[in-house]
Amino acid sequence: MSERAAALLPTQGTDYAAALAAPPLTNLRRIGGEMFAWTDRDPGRGPELPRGAVVRHLLAQFAGPDRAVLVAGPHADEVVTALADSGATVSWLLRSLGDAEDAARLHPDVTILAGAAGKLDPAARYDLVVAMDGVERLNSGEGEQLSGAELLDRLAAAVQPDGVLLLVHDNRFGLHHTVRLAPGARERQDAAWYAIDENDADRPASQEQLVGRLAEAGLEVNAAYAAFPQPATPTVLVGEGLLGNVSSPLRPRLGTALSQAYAAGFRGQPVLSDPRRLINRALLAGAEGTVAAAWLVIARAPGSDAAPAITGHELLIGDARGTFAYQVSSAGNEVRTTVLQPLEGPIERCGLRRISEPSAPGADVGYVLEERLLHLAGTDDLRNLRAELAQYDTWLRAQARDGVLTGPAALAGLADVFVSQTGLALLPTRWEPIEPVPLELAQIRAIWHFAVQVITSAQPHPWPVTSSAVDLTAVLLGMVGHSVGKDQLRAAAELHVALEAADQELSLAEQHDLRLRLLAVTPGTAPVDIAGYREVTEALWRQRYEASHLLAMMEWTEQMIQSRDLALSKVDWEVQFYRKTWAGRFLWVARSAYRVLARDGRKFLHGRRQRKAAAINPNDLR
Amino acid sequence: MHHANYHYGHAHLLARYCNLPEPLHPPRLQGYLQHGWNMGDGLAPGTPYVDGSRIFVWSEETRRRSWSQGRREVIVVGAPFAYLLELEPEPAGAPQPEGTIFYPFHGWEGQQISGDHQRLIDEVKATETGPVTACLYWNEYRMRGVRKIYERAGFRVICHGYRGFWWRDHNRTFLVNQLAELRKHRRVISNRLCSAVWYGALAGREVAVYGDPMVLDNADPTFGGEPRLRRQWPEVYGYQTDFDACHQLARQQLGADELARPDELRAYLGWPAATEFATATERDK
Repeated sequence: MSERAAALLPTQGTDYAAALAAPPLTNLRRIGGEMFAWTDRDPGRGPELPRGAVVRHLLAQFAGPDRAVLVAGPHADEVVTALADSGATVSWLLRSLGDAEDAARLHPDVTILAGAAGKLDPAARYDLVVAMDGVERLNSGEGEQLSGAELLDRLAAAVQPDGVLLLVHDNRFGLHHTVRLAPGARERQDAAWYAIDENDADRPASQEQLVGRLAEAGLEVNAAYAAFPQPATPTVLVGEGLLGNVSSPLRPRLGTALSQAYAAGFRGQPVLSDPRRLINRALLAGAEGTVAAAWLVIARAPGSDAAPAITGHELLIGDARGTFAYQVSSAGNEVRTTVLQPLEGPIERCGLRRISEPSAPGADVGYVLEERLLHLAGTDDLRNLRAELAQYDTWLRAQARDGVLTGPAALAGLADVFVSQTGLALLPTRWEPIEPVPLELAQIRAIWHFAVQVITSAQPHPWPVTSSAVDLTAVLLGMVGHSVGKDQLRAAAELHVALEAADQELSLAEQHDLRLRLLAVTPGTAPVDIAGYREVTEALWRQRYEASHLLAMMEWTEQMIQSRDLALSKVDWEVQFYRKTWAGRFLWVARSAYRVLARDGRKFLHGRRQRKAAAINPNDLR
Repeated sequence: MHHANYHYGHAHLLARYCNLPEPLHPPRLQGYLQHGWNMGDGLAPGTPYVDGSRIFVWSEETRRRSWSQGRREVIVVGAPFAYLLELEPEPAGAPQPEGTIFYPFHGWEGQQISGDHQRLIDEVKATETGPVTACLYWNEYRMRGVRKIYERAGFRVICHGYRGFWWRDHNRTFLVNQLAELRKHRRVISNRLCSAVWYGALAGREVAVYGDPMVLDNADPTFGGEPRLRRQWPEVYGYQTDFDACHQLARQQLGADELARPDELRAYLGWPAATEFATATERDK
């Protein structure tokens, strides 16, 4: 089509019939500033919708019958449904008119306010204001633009006396920003008409500043958490008592929980550096709050003194989707694990069953086996490495009955084992096999997976840098007197793929891809779960290191061949020289004659012996 | 880049602002210039757009909206009319304005409007106190029947001219003539919020939008249509409006506070820098 024709192309008109046929939306109110031809529900155009079991659990404490709730900004439907199902009167502010119409149809009991936060009725007050999405999507593209600080004030003003604001505030210094490796990310996001402003001095940049800002807005923060690993889907919340406290007995559990959370939250994403190692360093420094993905605060507007106190949690862990959440707390010398919200129903996938009652050892002093092994490997302490592995081997064999393992121990990795003075114990895990797993298979999987982690994440170890995961598995198992074959390794990889597939809901094609990558882990392999740029460059370095040795070997071999060629050539020349002289020719004839005589002589003697024997025993010839 | 860049003499006016040596024959503009006020992404519906090209929009609000619709390389330069006001501020001894200039909502080559012109005229006559000038769009001005209706009502009927099409028949002084007409009148009115109303408000005239907004054939509802205009900018609707509020809104919508300096604008539009012209002139001597 020519441009001239296109310039005159009339656009598609209104489908009045469809518009008239649509039922009226009585629960939708347009408050002004609503956006047309826009949606916040398309992950290709903007950030993910906030969700998560731990936040839902916190919300459930403040929602309920006769409670007025304002949900500010885009949220996952399950969050709003849960609030509405509690009997609360829910209003939901959405800037997109299209999203608002969909929400009004989907949630007939919820009042949908379509527009910008600046257009909210200034007189409206709520018992609970929910802003899990922060304030970033409360401005509309249309009309007046409020600053982040003004939007916080606007939310605070909507909380009535004794009411509560639950706010998740993105940490610009969080690991998720630091490790982000997404060139052109802003250009790909239609929601990013304003880029993240890193120079906004009025925006709270730390948990303390956030608490202070809300205090200025007239709210008192009763509970504050550091949220991990992503602001939109926090699965680990760290509260007062544990946050920044390196001597807390919950520290080892926190390390494991955060490592798992970051593995799940960044799986498949290209990053600058594996966030698990960075968060581990932050934990050692007690600085996890500084690099948290977000801060979640529960702030109350002053009112009567009779308002019930808000109790905080030390450590909350939950699913990204669904309701399952539990807390880990310390009481005296004991560590307790309490399920706060059970699974919505039994979950079985890939021959595995989701664990609904996570167990945890009661002892408070000890260490996580994987961290200890990494430390020993990094310090070349082979003696203690053998001792730790022997202890683990003994413990695992004690868990087996008739050579098979059942329950969580069958799928526990070395990061799931806690070592205390009273012995080894399992930390909370997520999956267990439906059918028992042979002991050897379970052990090989755990050790092999540890080896894969060591190799692909470039952890220091005492063995040759060119060792593969298979090499390391053989060494580690050999330390406790076991050997491993190719078939066993393949079976262990299959079991691991089943575990990953169950946890990540991988398709068959994704499982196949993962299986191939796991079986091909060599020194030059980058991590198979999180594609860290640092780890990729480490893998590249190892490839070059190995290649440099191969080149040196090739050069040496070439020199040797050349040397042998030279020697051979000289010998050949001598041989030819001797063949050409009379003496040489005589020697050659003599040698040939000798060979013929020797050969024929042997034949003659052999035949004569047989004939003599036949003459003595005539029957032997028949 | 696109023939709409030359509508209403926009490119010519910007060339004059940028002190180009031949403003009547401006060089090709490296991008798409918003050619009318709208509540979409700045481009007219159906504009064939080459990905990666620049889009020069009038206001920050339009830039946000344009980004949300997947447009990138969007630069706020302000409306050419705002540049004209910079070039031609109202003279101190200008005659006192009087009466009203009325812009009935218009269609264009691709979409016609339908509605009752007579009813609209009656409402205008009942509201406006001074003489009324009806400014028709060129295609309605050509329709003798439509023009007669307004003439019979006692209105002075004018047309600012043809905006041009496909690099031909440009009216290079379109905006200059329009500004002159606007300045003659005390009030600027229309039956639908449009560029002319914002121009009037920016030029310091009272503005008002009222009356039957009429119906545009195959109107595109993507951005909310006429009802949205009324909801989002209620300040300009009614027989009498708040002058300061309307003027302030006009400044925002026309980007009057976002205007680029001439050298800056040359860089945006892909026009040669002033020094390059100076060098060429020296060489030609």
